[in-house]
Amino acid sequence: MKLGTVANYALLVVGSIIVAFPLLLALSYSVMSESEIATFPPPIVPAAPTLDNYATVFATIPIGRYLLNSFVVSSAVVIGQLLTASLAAYAFSFLVFRGRQLLFFLFLSTLMIPWEATIIPNYMTIRTIGWLDTYQGLAVPFMATAFGTFLLRQAFLQIPRELWDAARIDGATTFRFLVSTVIPLSRPALGTVAIYGFLSTYNQYFWPLLVTNQPLMRTTQVGIAQLRFEETLRWGLVMAGVIMVAVPTLALLVLGQRQLIRGLTAGAVKG
Amino acid sequence: MRRLATLALAFTITAAACGGSTSTGGTTPSGGAADMSALAPAKDVAPAATITWWHAMSGVNGDAVKKIVDGFNSSQSKIKVEAIFQGTYDDLLAKLNTAIASNAAPALVQVYDIGQRYMYDSGQVVPMQAFIDRDKFNTSDFEAAVINYYKYQDKLQSMPFNASTPVLYYNKDAFKEVGLDPAKPPVTFTEIVDAAKKLTKKDASGATVRYGFGPSIYGWLFEQLMATSGALYADNGNGRDNRATQVVYNSAAGKTILDWWKAGVNGRYFYNPGIDNDGAANAFNAQKSAMYIESTARMRGHITTIAGKFELGIGLYPRPDSKPATGGNIIGGASLYIMKSRPAPEQQAAWEFVKYAMSPAVQAQWQSDTGYYPVVKSAYDQGPSKDFSTKYPQFQTAISEIRDSPQNRMTNGAVLGVMPQARQRTQKMIESVLLGQASSQDALNAAVADMNAAIDKYNKANP
Repeated sequence: MKLGTVANYALLVVGSIIVAFPLLLALSYSVMSESEIATFPPPIVPAAPTLDNYATVFATIPIGRYLLNSFVVSSAVVIGQLLTASLAAYAFSFLVFRGRQLLFFLFLSTLMIPWEATIIPNYMTIRTIGWLDTYQGLAVPFMATAFGTFLLRQAFLQIPRELWDAARIDGATTFRFLVSTVIPLSRPALGTVAIYGFLSTYNQYFWPLLVTNQPLMRTTQVGIAQLRFEETLRWGLVMAGVIMVAVPTLALLVLGQRQLIRGLTAGAVKG
Repeated sequence: MRRLATLALAFTITAAACGGSTSTGGTTPSGGAADMSALAPAKDVAPAATITWWHAMSGVNGDAVKKIVDGFNSSQSKIKVEAIFQGTYDDLLAKLNTAIASNAAPALVQVYDIGQRYMYDSGQVVPMQAFIDRDKFNTSDFEAAVINYYKYQDKLQSMPFNASTPVLYYNKDAFKEVGLDPAKPPVTFTEIVDAAKKLTKKDASGATVRYGFGPSIYGWLFEQLMATSGALYADNGNGRDNRATQVVYNSAAGKTILDWWKAGVNGRYFYNPGIDNDGAANAFNAQKSAMYIESTARMRGHITTIAGKFELGIGLYPRPDSKPATGGNIIGGASLYIMKSRPAPEQQAAWEFVKYAMSPAVQAQWQSDTGYYPVVKSAYDQGPSKDFSTKYPQFQTAISEIRDSPQNRMTNGAVLGVMPQARQRTQKMIESVLLGQASSQDALNAAVADMNAAIDKYNKANP
């Protein structure tokens, strides 16, 4: 029994080292000098750690501003998605109306539309209403999500119908039931939608590149692309940028991990 | 209506130019008869107060771009240029496509070398030649090798901006160590092989610690080897007399290149980093390979990284043993396009900026900041360029490499609408040969067949 536990942990440790290796290597490279990276075979642990690369990142691009922009946009998208997705999912799970099923499948079918097909119309819309180089231009197109709606609907369907009946008998309005019962009971699912929405917005590249021209309106992913010089790649510099951009997302993952796992598996068995 | 008229005019000019140009070989004719002035806005159109320029220069090069723009903006008070970094060349092109569809393209864009035919076929560009003809702008001071790369039917389509060529990088210390003359780098295929064999070093267990030569599998390098072989890559004068209808690199020259490369890798005196330009550069920095071929644009990076470890040498790009007189190197890099969709005043302002950027002083500073070739020859007489030459004497070899290249269709380089794809396909081709999956000739034929289908499709889609 004891031996088994040890073996289990050993296996887990090996597994986590393998999974974390690229990240740890990035961290190690980010504190290595360029000439040290260039030796062969490339060292794994820096002989003389230096923060020069980080200083260069700060000197080359306004990384603080990029992080702020990404944070503002991603948070706005999360709030928007939670609002629209929970309301839509509520309608699809609790309210009974004609064509509900059809509408829901229509909704789901938008998941099949490739993103590339919508990018030009979206761009033209944003441009026409003069939202280029604005936070709303970066965020609004992503404030409704079919995936999130689907996920929340599955979670809402888990809530016993009896609660709905009881609430109605006690005189709760439709909206009251959503706010006081459905939302508190679906926190894991809401957390999942929030984290998923945050990460996917945070990691966007092409859309922010399209709708922003002013350097100060750029987001992190577009920003760190500037560290990739066209002719020579400076690994240490790129890795320093990557680490700085990855830290907020990692923190979010660590904090929201429980919610994420519970949420993703919530509708898995009974749907 | 006006667009239609312009189109008809363009067609007439194209037809006229077709008749005038010669096909393969010989020297490039210096400009056709037709004057393109009519495509540019009238000379008295007042330039716009602000224009936007999209570029793909980041890091050190991005700073150099900023310097040029700031210099222009403070040199006069009428026009303000706003330079915007739009990611890599590919990102920029993707964004340009989207912007064109909704009429949001900027007045001036920087597009990479291999986007040339694509830009032409888009019909969105005012040829640079139109402004040159209109203003009788003197281009005699322009570096011929650089400017010829951006000509179609001998008309300049865009203004070269950042120009580089590939050269041979070699480790002088390693040369001395094995008794090779560090002042005389190998040039021909056989010389490279002989030197590489000597430079290859094995440890006691028989594992190779240093290879003689380690080029990346990079399509551009193959194009350049075809050019130094004096051979065509595509038909219709490498797609410069008329649009190319097929690629023709499955010739004897193509086979010689692949056989040479393959023999070197099989013999274990060529290092094969795979399709990995950075890997090849790092192997050279780390002294895992003693020679390799890459762009001059990497020179400064190498010098910084290897400082104190070994002495860097720069030699001429490899060529076949016969050293064909028609062979030479092609320019790579990117150029500036003035976009047709912007109103005439903006085009006018863009042209003013282009002229400023091409002035000798600006070009000299640009060279010194970035390590690219100056586009105009008189830039070399300017202070910053002279300092650069003193600091990096190796660059002299790079200059003579393009000066000594004869100017013909082979050294002008190929233009294809599907050039990015073609480059990837040749990489797959080289890889299949080096890995022993196909013989040189079979691999060449297969790649050519694939590309011809792609060209055919492209040409049908862009009539």
